[in-house]
Amino acid sequence: MGARVLLVEDEINLAKGIEFNLGLEGYQVQMVDDGLRALEILTAPPAHDLVVLDVMLPGMDGFSLARRMREAGNYTPLLMLTAKSLPEDMVQGLTVGADDYLPKPFDLPVLLARVKGLLRRRDWTRGGDDPRTVKIGDTDVDFASFEVRARGETFRLTVLEATLLKLLVQNQGRVVAKGEILEKVWNLSPDTETRAVDNFIVRLRRYIEVNPRFPRHLETVRGAGYRLTL
Amino acid sequence: MDPMTPGPSQLAPAKRPKWMHITMGVSLIVVAVALTVGWHILGAEGEIPKANTLRWVVYFLGTVLFLLLIGGLSLMVVLLVREVRLNERQSNFVSAVTHELKTPVASLKLYIDTLRMRELSDEKRRDFYGTMSQDLDRLNATINNVLNAAMYTDKRVAEPHPLDLARVVHRALELTRTRHQLLAESFAYEGPETLRVMGDAAALETAVLNLVDNAVKYSREHEVRVEVELSRNQDGQAHLRVRDHGIGMSRAHLRLIFNRFYRIGSEVRRSRTGTGLGLFIVRAVVKAHKGTVSADSPGPDRGSVFTITLPGVLPDAPNEADEASAREVLA
Repeated sequence: MGARVLLVEDEINLAKGIEFNLGLEGYQVQMVDDGLRALEILTAPPAHDLVVLDVMLPGMDGFSLARRMREAGNYTPLLMLTAKSLPEDMVQGLTVGADDYLPKPFDLPVLLARVKGLLRRRDWTRGGDDPRTVKIGDTDVDFASFEVRARGETFRLTVLEATLLKLLVQNQGRVVAKGEILEKVWNLSPDTETRAVDNFIVRLRRYIEVNPRFPRHLETVRGAGYRLTL
Repeated sequence: MDPMTPGPSQLAPAKRPKWMHITMGVSLIVVAVALTVGWHILGAEGEIPKANTLRWVVYFLGTVLFLLLIGGLSLMVVLLVREVRLNERQSNFVSAVTHELKTPVASLKLYIDTLRMRELSDEKRRDFYGTMSQDLDRLNATINNVLNAAMYTDKRVAEPHPLDLARVVHRALELTRTRHQLLAESFAYEGPETLRVMGDAAALETAVLNLVDNAVKYSREHEVRVEVELSRNQDGQAHLRVRDHGIGMSRAHLRLIFNRFYRIGSEVRRSRTGTGLGLFIVRAVVKAHKGTVSADSPGPDRGSVFTITLPGVLPDAPNEADEASAREVLA
């Protein structure tokens, strides 16, 4: 059975075209054209493998929806698909919880590749030959459940956060350049100008560092990149 | 129709002269300095006797200047709020136009990619061509709206001709019906089969089309009922009334909906297509024809009524003297 995709898009022609193509690729697609209806679905227990979300929606905008679904503990991989294509829109989307961002108009093969890539990334982060759990200082990270247990609290990682952390774990003790991170985690060109990596590093530090302002495990190596020590 | 192409400056709202702001700012500074000087003069104890005329003059001038200062500051606040609102509207307009241009382009691209990549049945292809045609219509409507907003702003009707307003209305109804794939029963027309006025047929058709299209867009889905009435009054004016039973609006919005870029609600939570130019174009066209346009609504969810009044109704039979007199009205 194909992966279940929730498509939140109010533009009916576009939604039908995407549904048709995802259907041909073997995905099961559920379409929703209203932000509030999408909120009901996304804040209930997760029932989909991937969410494709438009930003400009009636009822509730996509940025708020992404934030609300993450707050509700839904960490389903999320692809934002929108006419808002400025770099700051992209950063806002990624910051509120999107795992990938595709501006309209897009190439159909690119959309299909991104959908496949997000599902593969989730599977890669969960499985592979690497150990399922890892200990960073006093913090336990479980890549199968995307959970981080630290200081008596449990946090849930998004696919992007988990992918970034896993990349750093695989390269522990070695400096990983920002360009390499952009390429491997975001599928972006290494010279892309964005603050997304820095924002995500800040978020990871909140989970794994006792004092995120003075990191002991996830250090910034000025001009070179980031280094994780367990 | 005049084939002029608008530049960006024509789409921007008329700017308030900068010198006005600068003069007002400098004047307020001068008033504030004068008040401070007066304050020091009054504060110089013993220098000026209490009953001295100078003291009373300073008191009087001080009061006048203080009132000027308060008045000037209030005016500055009003101007500032206006500028902020205009900026918000412009920002919303950019978002709306971006969305209105990119969405049909994205859809067209998606269907072209699909047609290229997939083996499709003839039926499916025809279905996709229909969808693509809708997207092209939408794109065309947005481009026309942006061009028309520039074209009809602050303009007179360059070459008025006798035209049949009833025919213009029927054409607008038919175009809207086709565009939104509605049944003929969704529209009711009441009025004469011919009502001749002097004007620009293309401009008036754009205005009527915008009103009827709005009436459909702001109706509830599957409940579209638009009533159009056309009549002539005894003063030789044409009245066109477009009534819908849709989402209506509050009094606060009624005042603002004819402003350029104005759209109800936030763009990021948009529930209706559009750029915020449609009603602005309606007003500009009607104004160019020396007419008036007004909106009314009993409140949210209770529908809206838009009324256009145009002068210069002509007799049914062509008559050169009447046409010349109507031309003069529009000149």
